[in-house]
Parts: sequence; structure tokens; C-alpha cells
Amino acid sequence: MGKILFISNRLEKIQHYAKIFDKKPYEFFTSSDEGAIFEITEINNPDIIIFDHAFVNVKQIIKKLKSVTTSSSFVFLTQNTVIENDIIKYINAFLTEEMSDELVLSTIAVNLKTKNMLERLSDTNKNLADSLYRLNVLYSTSSQFAGSLDKGKLINYMVEGLDKSLSFDLTCTLCTEDEPVLILNSLYEISDELLSAIKLRTVLNYKSLFEDKNPPFEIDIENLKVIKTVKYPANRFTFTIFQYDNMFAPISLGDNFFGCIEIFKEAPFTSDDATCFQTIAQQVSLPLKSATLYQEIMETNLKLEKLERLKSEFISIVSHELRTPLTAIKNSLDIISSERCGTINESGQKFLSMAQRNVQRLAGIINDLLDLSKIEAGKMEYHFTNMNIHSVIDYVKSTLFGVAKEKGLNLIAEETLNLPEIYADAQRLEQVLTNLVSNAIKFTPEGKNIIIRSHLAKAEQLNAPDCFKDDLKKLNGEYIVVCVEDEGIGIAEKDLLRAFDKFAQIENSLSRKVGGSGLGLPIAKQLLEAHSGAIWCDSELNKGSKFYFALPVNAVTSNLEKSLILN
Amino acid sequence: MKKILIVDDEQDIVESLKFVLEAADYICYCAYNGEDGLKLAKDIMPDLIILDVMMPKINGYKISRLLKYDKKYKNIPILMITARSQKEDKLIGEETGADEYITKPFDLDEVVNTVKKYLG
Repeated sequence: MGKILFISNRLEKIQHYAKIFDKKPYEFFTSSDEGAIFEITEINNPDIIIFDHAFVNVKQIIKKLKSVTTSSSFVFLTQNTVIENDIIKYINAFLTEEMSDELVLSTIAVNLKTKNMLERLSDTNKNLADSLYRLNVLYSTSSQFAGSLDKGKLINYMVEGLDKSLSFDLTCTLCTEDEPVLILNSLYEISDELLSAIKLRTVLNYKSLFEDKNPPFEIDIENLKVIKTVKYPANRFTFTIFQYDNMFAPISLGDNFFGCIEIFKEAPFTSDDATCFQTIAQQVSLPLKSATLYQEIMETNLKLEKLERLKSEFISIVSHELRTPLTAIKNSLDIISSERCGTINESGQKFLSMAQRNVQRLAGIINDLLDLSKIEAGKMEYHFTNMNIHSVIDYVKSTLFGVAKEKGLNLIAEETLNLPEIYADAQRLEQVLTNLVSNAIKFTPEGKNIIIRSHLAKAEQLNAPDCFKDDLKKLNGEYIVVCVEDEGIGIAEKDLLRAFDKFAQIENSLSRKVGGSGLGLPIAKQLLEAHSGAIWCDSELNKGSKFYFALPVNAVTSNLEKSLILN
Repeated sequence: MKKILIVDDEQDIVESLKFVLEAADYICYCAYNGEDGLKLAKDIMPDLIILDVMMPKINGYKISRLLKYDKKYKNIPILMITARSQKEDKLIGEETGADEYITKPFDLDEVVNTVKKYLG
């Protein structure tokens, strides 16, 4: 079907053309009045306009019409074959007086076909542009979703995305996280009556999602919090808003329900709009879930931090509160045992020394607890100096030699001479070695040997049971290795790693008999880590144990540099 | 005979210290809070002071500083008793002027030996 307007005042030509276009599915009409041409064009919107060369002022009319109509194709009925330059750019096709009816018909038909195809192309183009725009909106909205863990912002991004892609009149978003909130984004102002109607509608929508089940949140319409954003507050919506086209979707992911959204628009939504709406409402659920999880993790972290702090404070306070009464007990026992208040018989002396020994043990446990809490709180103070490992071994050997001898043990030091200096805290190393040697003394039966060895080794030469391989992997460069070897009860292979766990003193009758806080080795491990070193052990049950620790030699310079940088 | 002032709010500890120090032929004066301790120190001019850190009102560090910054008293040796609590650790970085630190639980013989080192 094609509408053809013929502008001419030659009656015989009009009749001729009317006859040609009468046969086919054309709608043909004419105008002979210059003044009426514009009105007729506007009303009928012809597909093709044929201009007669004999019409008065035809060239001016063509130029004027071209500027007001874009949808019509212009055909010029010319008298001679010379094409007139000043109108050629406005004309799509030419007819001549001499053309046969068939030729006229086919020229017009081709022109009409071309015009229709161009129109379709332009429509497709427009659709493509629309889709592209929408895709861009979806893309930017989803990247905004991915970049945020703030629930309020996520909801805002969703509404922004919907506005850009669907240009709605009103959205009602119900968020059920924490406290239920109704978020309204509106083009125009909403009256109080309309607001109560919207609230009611939203809550009913919300309940309808759960059919027979109870909704996850009870929503009290009276006290429902509303956040309203209005674009043009000067205008007002009326109740006709409910006659607008609308769409509704839940915002949920699996069992997690975050809320629901309803969208209103005066013009009807297309199926593309519906897909876009569903996509955005679905896309926001995942980041909302992440945001919920993130919030939970943050809360748990805060709780853990607080607990950790409380634990440190608790241990510190307890150890202080324990020390004072312990001092009073120890002093009293010491005074009694010095027999300044009268003589004590042999069995009295035995029990008195039992009490004294246990006071000493308790004091040791308190010190260990305090050390560990300090290390864990990062409050342990180290006094690093350039020092020699021989002095540490000498000190420990001389202080524990007596204890070992008393138990009938041989404490021997087999050192490599002239080991290089290391940058370390001598007191802490003494603490570590004292602990290792004390343990060896505790667990070794009478008449056996305990040997302290020292040597220089490269990291890759160090060898340890599999469970310590990861600790050794971190080492790099040259190390001084100290080993305490005993011929005691030993440790089963599966228990080796646990020896360095807090409070994990390996269960057996002997260890219970010898006592201890079980914190010595964990403390030693932490102290060595502070020295960029490592500690490990190798043992065979009932044969004996070897406890090793390694201290970096090159730390002499690197630690110095570090402290220089820090200063 | 040399005079020793013992300041500690823990009476049991004061008593045990007093017992061994008197046995070692020193005259002991006792105070059970910081305020009394400071007053007594000025009244009797002791030859040595044993001072607990954690005490109500005026703590040991404060007393130590007040005495050590005063020309009249600055030569009196001060032995400070500490329980190594976190609170004390924070304070210990400050200049207190104490001559010796003894950690609870301490050895009575060690205290007597340290006193002897200063007083003979």
C-alpha cells in the first residue's frame, strides 16, 4: 500500500495518473491548490509526492516541502530530459511526459520499495541503538554492583540502572534487611493518601510472594520507614498511577530474601523492558548477599579482636594478681624452712620443700603465660645486639650443670669454634636454650648424656622431619644451628609438631610426673620467629630427642639496615 | 643500725620482708600506702627504701620520682618491687630513678643480699 500525492493543475494529466494508480494497491490523491499542499501533506503523510513541472512555483514548493517532511519520497515529472541542477538534490526519481504507463508504474514501485526498505533499516538501526544503550546501562550497573559492599548504595545503583534503561515514573523498593524500609523513587510528588495506598500495595505484594508460608519479616504498615526521592516536586501524582503499566519482582538469591521492587510507567512496557527489569533485579541480589556476608565477617572480626584484647588483658591482670599472694606464700615458706622460727623435723622439711618446689613451678607457669600473652599482643620487647652464641651456651651450661648433676646426668657442650657473630637478643636465646636443656633434663633417665652442639650450615643443608619442612623452606642463607640432644623418652613422630602447640604437652605418665606449663616450646618458637630463625625437632621413641634451632648469620647486617630504615 | 623503710599495701609481704631484714640487724619502718610511705620517708630519713609499684593513691613510681628529684633524698637507694603487669610495663619506660628492680615472686635471701650491697 502506498499513498501517492500528485501536485498538478493539468486536468488531463491528473486523470491519466489517477487511471494508472487506480489499478494497483495505491491510494492516489491530488492537490491543485498551492495553499493547501502543506496541509494535505501533513494530514495524509504521503509515501510519494509527484510534482508536475507545469505547476506554478514548483521549485519553491519542493524546497519548502523538503524542509518540513522527511518521510516522503519526491518524484519530479519533467518536460525535457535536461535535469535541472537547482532541484536535483531534493528529488529521488524523475518521470517524463513520454514514459509509458508501465514505466511510470515501475518507477514509482521501485521508489516505494526503496523507501520502505530504508524505513525498515532505520527502525532496525534505532532498535539496535536502543539495545546497545540498554546493554551499556546493564554493564555499567553490574560493574557498579561488583564494586560495592554497601547495601544502601547497591539499592541506589539498581534504581539508577532502571531509570536509565526504562525511564520509569515510580519505583517502590521494599528492603527487608535489618529494619524494613520502603524506598520510593518518583518523578512527581506523592500525596499522603497515595503514599498509604502505595505502602499497602507493596506490603500485599510482598506477602503474596510467600503464599501459604509466613514471610521472613512481619511488616507493620503504620511504622514502615519510607525514604522518598522526588525528581520534580512541583508536580503531583494522582491515583491514576495505579492504572499505569507496572512490573514486580522479588530481590532474592536462593533462600536469601532481600526485598522486592515494583515499577510504574505511563507508557506500556515492552518484553525487552521486562527482561531488562528482571535482569537488574536479579543482578543486585548477588552483591547484596556478598554485602550481608561481608557485614557478618566484619562483625565477627570486631568480636574476635575484642576477645583477643580481653584475653591479653585478662592474662596480664591474672598474672599480676597471682604473683602477689604467691610472693607472700613463698616468703613464709622460705622463712619457715630457714628454721628461724624453730627447728623442723625431717618429714616436715620434706613436705616444706615440696611446697616450695610447687610455688616455684607456679611462678614459672605465670611467667610463661605472661610471655606468651606479650608475644601474641606484639608487646614483647627485644634487645638486639651483635653477639656470640658461645656466651649463650656457656651461660646455660653453667646454670643447669648443677641441676643435671643432681639427677645423675652428664651435660656436655660440643661446640664448633669461632662461629660468626649474630644479631640477636641474648636474654631471649638464653631463655630458649634453658628451656630446651631443662626439658632434656626432665625427660632423660639417670646416668645418660645431654649434649649441646653448635655448627654453621647453609639453609639447604638443614634437614628435618616432614612436618617441619614448611618452616625450613622459609630459611635462606647461612645459619648457626644449635642442637640439644638427649637420651630420654623421645617423642612419637605423629606428636612432633604438637610439641610446639600451646598447652599440648604430650600425654603420658612421665610428662605428667615432670610437670611444666607446656608453654616453653611455643614461646621458643615465637622467639625464634622474631629472630627470623626456626626451631624443630627429631626424635625416636625411647631412644632420645634432638631439638634444633637455627639463627641467621646475615641478619647481622640486614637487621641493622632494617633498624636504620625504621629510624 | 641502718634504717629501712618498707612501703607495700600487701601487709603479708611487708611482714616477711621485715622479718628477714630485722634478722639481718636492720631497723624496719613500715607503711601500707603511698601517702604514708612518702611522709615517713621524709620524717625518718631511711638509709634505704623498698617500694612496691602498684599501690592505691600514690604508686611506687611516683614516690620514687618525687624522692629522686629532691636533693635531700636523692641519695637514698630505692629497691622497687614489681609484678610485671602490663600497666607497670607501660610505666617502666619512664624515668623512675629506682636503683634496683625485684620481680614478684622474689627470693628473700636475694633481697637481703641486695640490701647488704647498698648498706653493708
